[in-house]
Amino acid sequence: MAGNGAFIEFQELTKVFHDHRNHATPVVEPLSISIAEGEFVVFVGPSGCGKTTVMRMVGGLETPTTGRVLIKGQEVEGPSREKGMVFQSYSSFPWLTVLGNVRFGLKYRRDLPDTEKDRIARHYVDLVGLTPFSDYYINRISGGMRQRVAIARTLAADPLVLLMDEPFGALDALTRERLQLQLLQLRNAERKTVIFVTHDVDEAVFLSDRIIVFSARPARVLRDVQVSAELPRERTMEIVETPAFRKLRREVLALIRDEELRTEAAEVAAAS
Amino acid sequence: MPASRDRAAWRDIFTFRAPPRADLEVWLGIGAFVFVLVVWTLTTGLGIVQPQFLPSPLAVVSAWIRLIEDADYLTHIWISIARVWAAFLISAVMAIPLGVLMSSYRGIGAVSEPLIDFVRYLPVPALVPLTLIWLGIGESSKIALLWIGTFFQLVLLIADDARRVPKEFIETGRTLGAGDVALMKDVLLRAMLPNMVDSLRITLGWCWTYLLVAEIVASNSGIGYELWTARRYGKTPEVFSGILTIGLIGLISDQVIRFLHRRAFRYLG
Repeated sequence: MAGNGAFIEFQELTKVFHDHRNHATPVVEPLSISIAEGEFVVFVGPSGCGKTTVMRMVGGLETPTTGRVLIKGQEVEGPSREKGMVFQSYSSFPWLTVLGNVRFGLKYRRDLPDTEKDRIARHYVDLVGLTPFSDYYINRISGGMRQRVAIARTLAADPLVLLMDEPFGALDALTRERLQLQLLQLRNAERKTVIFVTHDVDEAVFLSDRIIVFSARPARVLRDVQVSAELPRERTMEIVETPAFRKLRREVLALIRDEELRTEAAEVAAAS
Repeated sequence: MPASRDRAAWRDIFTFRAPPRADLEVWLGIGAFVFVLVVWTLTTGLGIVQPQFLPSPLAVVSAWIRLIEDADYLTHIWISIARVWAAFLISAVMAIPLGVLMSSYRGIGAVSEPLIDFVRYLPVPALVPLTLIWLGIGESSKIALLWIGTFFQLVLLIADDARRVPKEFIETGRTLGAGDVALMKDVLLRAMLPNMVDSLRITLGWCWTYLLVAEIVASNSGIGYELWTARRYGKTPEVFSGILTIGLIGLISDQVIRFLHRRAFRYLG
């Protein structure tokens, strides 16, 4: 689904960083991608490749140097409630309870009465399974629960697109697995379009409908992998053992590995 | 064998980065106080030091009790406390918004920070003549001096507290639809509040230092004035009493703020 029908559209998007000496570093090369409504797209690539920068440009937290991002035909011009963001850490506010954090997602909605805000907040706390912890402060709950709070808060704000920047990166393997499954359930229930950044290839294949593999900096698309064409929509942990999963995993990993070796060789050459 | 275990525990708290032992540490703290008192009592009691230089603890305490019972002295204490709090509150009311704005808008920071940093390094006592020339010997010159001594330090501490708020908090607020004012009020101030209260507490302590400067140089009231007058008449126990009073007020207000801090920010625990 390309062209005008796309839900999110990157049009010749570029980003150049300038350091204090005005030395220019291109971070993102002209990038044109279309994302369909409801698609779960994972960005992977070598560390520091600019995948997070691309996602932040969708969120309006970073301004493109040239080009633009369109969401439903509207140009992104800064952060707003339409683009919900979940970060790796410091996602939830320690001065608020679990429920207070989720309710914060609705704080700036003038169109909703307080009772409705309470109802929605409780609904999303329940959806991530944290109702028994509603009145707990953030520092009292585990890292995994904190990320669930952040996800619930973002969903409560009812964004058009959910942007997730390595949200499970700081969690242990078992917790991560559980949250991945829960995220897929939530996403199926909420029908959200998701852009998810990770460096964990297993996670990428497991979660995605589609993986975009980025090159080393400056980021360009190395490959656009249609995972949904090879894996069923319903995912369980068992899928990890299937040949299709392993093939995808191997393919993506090889691309990133080659890219990292190539950049390292280039860096060594430049240094010597 | 509790005796040998006790000995081991005492030895353990003197090993490098040992785990805390609150019970033993309290005793060490009390012991240090007792030690100083004993040494003090001995040096005065044995006549090693003349009483006009160092009066005995007993003489100091009896002088202190005599002073505290005197309504005049209490008035002086209240005057000093009022001066400190007036200056401190004026500093805080000005420093908090300015510090937050300095850290939030690069332009405001760029304009104000070098200037404030410069004033901060000026020795406050050197400004006493100026405050006297400009404002006379009334209350305003003393409060101005305390304000100079604290405001410029405090504003930089507040700006630092605001800068330490994780970027993710701000960006989360933004993506949930908060504007600049809402971000500062609902996210930035809330996130920095525990550190800010600490900064205020530290600054309050500095206020007392500058108060003494102000009251000794140009005043006819306040603890500093009393202390200086006692010195003029060679009443060393009264001088010590003044020091003791200031120390106690400092200690009490500090502990009260710490206690309130723990109560108010229990969510951090």
